[in-house]
Amino acid sequence: MVVDCAASCHLLSHVMCGVNGIFAYHSASGPPSEAELIATRDAMRARGPDGAGGWWSSNRRCGLGHRRLSILDLSDRASQPMISDDGRLVVVFNGEIYNYPALRRELEAGGVRFRTTSDTEVLLHLYACHGAEMVHRLRGMFAFAIWEKTRRGLFLARDPYGIKPLYTANDGWTFRFASQVKALLAGGAVSRDPEPAGVVGFHLFGSVPEPFTLYREIRSLPAGHTQWVDAAGPREPKPFANLAGILAAGARNPAPASELNMRVRTAVLDSVGAHLLADVEVGAFLSAGMDSGALLGLMRDAGQREIRAITLAFDEFDGTDEDEAPLAARIAERYGAQHIVRRVSEGEFRDDLPAILEAMDQPSIDGVNTWFTAKAAKEAGLKVAISGLGGDELLAGYPSFVDLPRWRRRFGPLAAVPGVGRLAHLVLTTMAPGFARARPKVLGMLEHANGWAGAYLLRRGLHLPHELPQLMDADLAREGLRRLQPLRRLAASLEPDPGSDTARVCALESVHYMRNQLLRDADWAGMAHGVEIRTPLVDATLLQSIAPVMGGLTLRTGKAALANAPTLPLPDEVLSRAKTGFAVPTGSWMDAAAAAAPPSIDKIREGKGLVSRRWSRVVLASPAAKPREARAA
Amino acid sequence: MTSAPAMLALVTDAFGGRGGIAQYNRDFLSAIADPGSEGVVVSPITVLPRHAPDQAAPPPGIQQMPQQPGRVAYALKALALAATQQVDLVFCGHLYMAPLAATIARLKGAKLVIQTHGIEVWPWPSRLQRGALEGADLVLCVSRYTRAAVLGWAAIAPERVLVVPNTVDEEFTPGDGASLRAKWGLEGKRVLLTVGRIAARERYKGHDRVIQALPQLVTLGHDVIYVVVGEGDDVARLKSLATNTGVAARVRFVGAFNRKMLVDAYRMADLFVMPSTGEGFGIAFLEAMASGTPALGLAVAGARDALADGELGTAVEESDLVGALAKLLAQAKADPLSLAESVRIRFGRVAFAACAAAAVHRLRDAA
Repeated sequence: MVVDCAASCHLLSHVMCGVNGIFAYHSASGPPSEAELIATRDAMRARGPDGAGGWWSSNRRCGLGHRRLSILDLSDRASQPMISDDGRLVVVFNGEIYNYPALRRELEAGGVRFRTTSDTEVLLHLYACHGAEMVHRLRGMFAFAIWEKTRRGLFLARDPYGIKPLYTANDGWTFRFASQVKALLAGGAVSRDPEPAGVVGFHLFGSVPEPFTLYREIRSLPAGHTQWVDAAGPREPKPFANLAGILAAGARNPAPASELNMRVRTAVLDSVGAHLLADVEVGAFLSAGMDSGALLGLMRDAGQREIRAITLAFDEFDGTDEDEAPLAARIAERYGAQHIVRRVSEGEFRDDLPAILEAMDQPSIDGVNTWFTAKAAKEAGLKVAISGLGGDELLAGYPSFVDLPRWRRRFGPLAAVPGVGRLAHLVLTTMAPGFARARPKVLGMLEHANGWAGAYLLRRGLHLPHELPQLMDADLAREGLRRLQPLRRLAASLEPDPGSDTARVCALESVHYMRNQLLRDADWAGMAHGVEIRTPLVDATLLQSIAPVMGGLTLRTGKAALANAPTLPLPDEVLSRAKTGFAVPTGSWMDAAAAAAPPSIDKIREGKGLVSRRWSRVVLASPAAKPREARAA
Repeated sequence: MTSAPAMLALVTDAFGGRGGIAQYNRDFLSAIADPGSEGVVVSPITVLPRHAPDQAAPPPGIQQMPQQPGRVAYALKALALAATQQVDLVFCGHLYMAPLAATIARLKGAKLVIQTHGIEVWPWPSRLQRGALEGADLVLCVSRYTRAAVLGWAAIAPERVLVVPNTVDEEFTPGDGASLRAKWGLEGKRVLLTVGRIAARERYKGHDRVIQALPQLVTLGHDVIYVVVGEGDDVARLKSLATNTGVAARVRFVGAFNRKMLVDAYRMADLFVMPSTGEGFGIAFLEAMASGTPALGLAVAGARDALADGELGTAVEESDLVGALAKLLAQAKADPLSLAESVRIRFGRVAFAACAAAAVHRLRDAA
């Protein structure tokens, strides 16, 4: 497949953005202040340092703001907020619409005239034609808001996977939204009252599970949802895409396993081609793993001749199996890519740590690796880079695809007996407290292994619910659990039933770990360096293609299919190499940082090897991880 | 719900009731039954009050049943009404009735709307009450503060919790304040006014704070008189406080007023002040401003809504109260008509009716 150069030469000029808005929907509310709109907008300067725009409705009840990083088209025509020709619609948009050329052609065939080269304009025309249903036509990563003048309302939407962030706050009179939590707080009018479900969620998972944030008034618009706001207030978000539903549809129409390789090759190549649509150079993040390597090969198959690929290297890994640079160099050589190896030291990590915590919009125990990769990309002058993020979720790459079904088989029947879990917990904590501390998840096995949600919590959980009272006020923990309903929330991501064990784990990993942690980290870490990270393996169209063969995927076959997808397959060493992903020696670095933290933060005794648990407390307690105003107060 | 839904309203009091909650219930039920510009929203409405001390006829479209003071009798009557008539909507006028209302809504397959006012939802409620509220289709709150308090303990989608603020009666308009001022011999004085119950358990209203501020205001050169409208079991203590503070001659306790006298009192005052820390909303602020008199309160709880974050009245921190009093007393009264109009735009009957109707329409849209 070859990229449509005629189309790509005049597309996607905004690349990265921060969007925000204020809508005083209630008659009791006064007009919002310009100062607040600007303060929120400009708190997102890192997302778009090149320009800023603002717009107010004629009655000044609704204001929209936008910050952009533009690469080619700096003309006012393409700037945002963008107003439709008839003045009835106004849009602010963060993201990319990859099927923009097709949509534009279709609209133009229907008589629509475009006045800019920006994909932002397609949103205006699509909404004018299809209303809220337009979201079903979009392929890409997006978070946008459209003001509809005639209905005096605001329409918001977020992509099916939740690649682009969108946060909302409603105080009962005024509705606000922004690309970042900290930006909403910077406006000065949003409450900082804590949300116990957000705090509990962070301790359970290492990231804050949507729709919650650390603040009660601020919620994430859930992925794959739209929301309407008018004088009667914000309506409950409506789903328009559901990953479990896509998987279930695939399971209802299964394809033979023999189609696996063909489907993976065709669909991933199609997705890579779509994600290359840009008016700037698209680089690649390259590890020694299969996902990023295969994508590099497919970038070449899709027609990109010159590719620069970034790999991180660390002194600590020199000469070890964990050093990705040598194998990544082989991959780069095979596909004719220019290979850039960026060395990162612990000293640089220490130096960057305050900036890392500052850039983190919500606390996360990960993202350090993405920070340095994006930093390297920026140094190389790249604005857009392809990442292999999502491959493990899509193609059964995680151990969880084996562990969860096995745990359910082995421990599920016993765990289903009422009281057994609690009894085992009591016995272990009484008879072997040291063991219980060192292996907290063993304690939870008989409590949680009888369901998919429980087994997933065991697999991905940073802490388990029974550990929360050690970490926070017991009443707050109880209330947070009640509001979060972690097991119910996890189980809801399996509705409708995806139809196979592999598809169930795919749904759980995609909806929780990937959405709340990996994608969010990619957003803030990339945006902090002005680099847009694109993820061809996180694509609803691709998922639809793979879903019919999902039931037959195993830990080996899925990744093997990906490795063999490029015309020139990955080197054999890549397939035989143990999975490391984009490894960084953060374990020891974070441990050192945790050790240097004030004793009050890390007074909890626990077993060795639980670095990320200690690190999570450092992140949560870090002043830099909290909003600037809160610190000043 | 394609045609107007039938509603059973379980309330402490409404038509023939006294106090703010009864007033709110009357306003709300009348607004959604009124075939005004928004059209009939709900019909018919059957109201079951716990109390109805005064005679009052509800407007067309609303039928009020005889009061049922006893808890058990009330619950039985509510269940009997539900069993014998169509109920598409259950309106619950007070959190303590929420479990009963939720039960009836479940039995009838009806939508549940729970009204919250102020201090009754600030502390954490019982599990039964919380469970009932979390299952409601809509929760209406009189202020943003009350809404935030509800969302602090209820695990409910925030979009289901709306603010439908208090409204202000049409009788409160700017007009002649000089007659009463002359009658009371207050010409040339700067008059502060507070209207509200003077009860020991409602000391949060802040009469004390105003009395204690008077000496400083006098020192600053303000020939000030503080008029206190209202009655209750705390009047004696406040009189004693005024005496002990040395301002007894400057504080006038004038008792409770009927509506006509109340309007005159608001018009007469130079400044309405109620430095309360416990208002669910603070309707007296609206009455004062609708009568053309500027209002001052603390930027605390629901008072921030009535004062519109300082855009209609003045909302200050407690530590700034004396300074704000001095500053406002030094100013001439601004254009009363303009102030009254601003209040009506945000909190007048038309705005209230639209707000109430929109809330109920949301149930129809969601059905």
